[in-house]
Amino acid sequence: MIFLGIDIGSLSCDAVLIDENKNILSSSVIPTGVKNIESIAKVKKNVLDAAGVMEKDILSIVSTGYGRNRVKERDRAVTEITCHAKGIKHMIPDTRILIDIGGQDSKAMLLDPDGNVVDFAMNDKCAAGTGRFLEAMARALEVDINQLGDLDKGATSDLVLSSMCTVFAESEVVSLIASGTEQKEIAKGLNRAIAARTNSLVKRIAKNTRDLAVSMSGGVARNRGVVKAIAESMNLERVNTPKLPDIVGALGAAIIGLEKRR
Amino acid sequence: MMYEHFDNTVKGIKDKLSQDPSGINARKKYVLELSRLGRKLYTKNETIAWCGVTAPFDLLSSMGVTSCFVEFVGAMLASTQTAGFFFEDAEDAGFATDSCAYHRAVMGAVLKNAMPEPDFIIGTSSPCTAGLAVMENFANQYKKDFFILNVPQNYSKDAIRFLSNQIEELTHFVSAHTKEPLSKEKLGMALENFNQSSKLLRDIYDLAKTKPSPVDNRLLRDFGVVMTLLMGTREGIDICQAFKDELNQRIKTSRHHASKEKTRLMWIQNRIQYPFPMDKMLDDLGAKIVIDELNTVTWEPMDPDNPFESIAKRMISIPFSMDTSKRIKNMQTLALDYQIDGAINPCHWGCRQGTGARGLVSKGMRDIDIPVLNLEIDCVDSRNLARGQIETRVEAFMEMLS
Repeated sequence: MIFLGIDIGSLSCDAVLIDENKNILSSSVIPTGVKNIESIAKVKKNVLDAAGVMEKDILSIVSTGYGRNRVKERDRAVTEITCHAKGIKHMIPDTRILIDIGGQDSKAMLLDPDGNVVDFAMNDKCAAGTGRFLEAMARALEVDINQLGDLDKGATSDLVLSSMCTVFAESEVVSLIASGTEQKEIAKGLNRAIAARTNSLVKRIAKNTRDLAVSMSGGVARNRGVVKAIAESMNLERVNTPKLPDIVGALGAAIIGLEKRR
Repeated sequence: MMYEHFDNTVKGIKDKLSQDPSGINARKKYVLELSRLGRKLYTKNETIAWCGVTAPFDLLSSMGVTSCFVEFVGAMLASTQTAGFFFEDAEDAGFATDSCAYHRAVMGAVLKNAMPEPDFIIGTSSPCTAGLAVMENFANQYKKDFFILNVPQNYSKDAIRFLSNQIEELTHFVSAHTKEPLSKEKLGMALENFNQSSKLLRDIYDLAKTKPSPVDNRLLRDFGVVMTLLMGTREGIDICQAFKDELNQRIKTSRHHASKEKTRLMWIQNRIQYPFPMDKMLDDLGAKIVIDELNTVTWEPMDPDNPFESIAKRMISIPFSMDTSKRIKNMQTLALDYQIDGAINPCHWGCRQGTGARGLVSKGMRDIDIPVLNLEIDCVDSRNLARGQIETRVEAFMEMLS
């Protein structure tokens, strides 16, 4: 018995195939692009090929993410809030606070010991502090987005950039470059800005986070600088990240499909 | 433009009524009377007063004044999708794009001469002083006299006396414009009508508490706020009676079982005014708004022999006039009475009550184990709508509650 979860986000389209014991058979992460129907077909083919199984073997398809209703063959659509909670519970079972920074929004979720969402908060009004924000900043710093995570190494200043608006932040980065501020200091300032915004989201759902294990999912969890800044901002020794943070939502979707079948 | 809109609505409903008098439901009757009021506001030779939300419309109506709160027009412009033109005019004149869009739409309409010229203007400090500033702008634009009712936020003898004196002074202000003295008999009749409507409103809200509730996501939307425009009239009583009858009928025929009620919700403050399928979205998710925060009767029956004090007590008692802690207590009472599972707070952009009290409202509801979904949404300016984001938040909230 095979279960498929597909997460169609604003930046990436992810899929996970699991068996009836919740073992991951295969996964794939590709850019969503402008034609998400094609991306859905492609990511599905990727996981089927990688696992060496046929489409007819799939018992359930659950879709999630902003494009969840674009998956025509879905058995159900579930929001990414519920799916990320389900996915992280499987990957890091003691998680009580989950931070998911995706392409165009960021979320903080409070989970009960069984992994159910009991409260959540999402970014207000604009997408500052999200994956899109980091893309814009990487562009302004003229580095690849994947290099951004380690760019703050050795930074010593207390610089904090605006986290309220992507356009303002980009213009601030350009001004700092013009004034000769080192790249690593700017990168650290950006990480701090994201951390401050994320910490504010977490505080809305949990005033006291001291005894709660905090984990992070979504593509931005691969950015070590941001993860470290969030941990510092929340006075935590560490923020847990799964090995494959991009697929947490798709995994959760697949698990929901499995549990509904049961 | 607005006259035609109201006139067409009146004619349409009257046509239907003449073909099948039994086919007109309570909501249609309510829309008919509101449209008649709207048409009157846009008719020449009427004595018109534009007002703040909490103005005493029963008193004004008894003095022969056709009156309305300006936010009603903002909502109408949004619902007819004509607000966009007016936002641009207001913004071109310097009104901030993140200010309250109810007021921005109206200011644009004033600047474009799309609002009927009032005879005078009555501002109220409740629910917000931003609205008061808009009314002052309005008065300056038309060069009309402006009367301000300062509504205290505390319910005390001094506060009641303070407001009561202002209301009495208001009657002199109105008389000076209409050249007609206040008729105690007419005012007494308006208050009697208001009392009867209030009694029926209590019955309506009690019926809405039934499990499953006979209401649906549309039936009582923004009802409490808007009904104050009509409650001092005979028509107001008829409308309330029609709603009560319809709810009783729904319970009797079990019609209310048809709509799903997996989740019972409270909607905080006002609904979204432009076409946006929130009601359908909630229907599809099996969620039902069984109570709106402002659908509540917080006042005692009014004494026609002591009209000004009675009106003052009523005005101070309503949620719009309450300070946040009292508002939260009121919401907590409603939450328990209506056995809700969760609440949606739209946090209307630029609104003191909506965004200003957000954290306190969430905490207050959490104290009684009621989760709150805070939506960052502009209820009037659809240009600020991020539909996908709102859908995700609402769906996730329902998944969480279930």
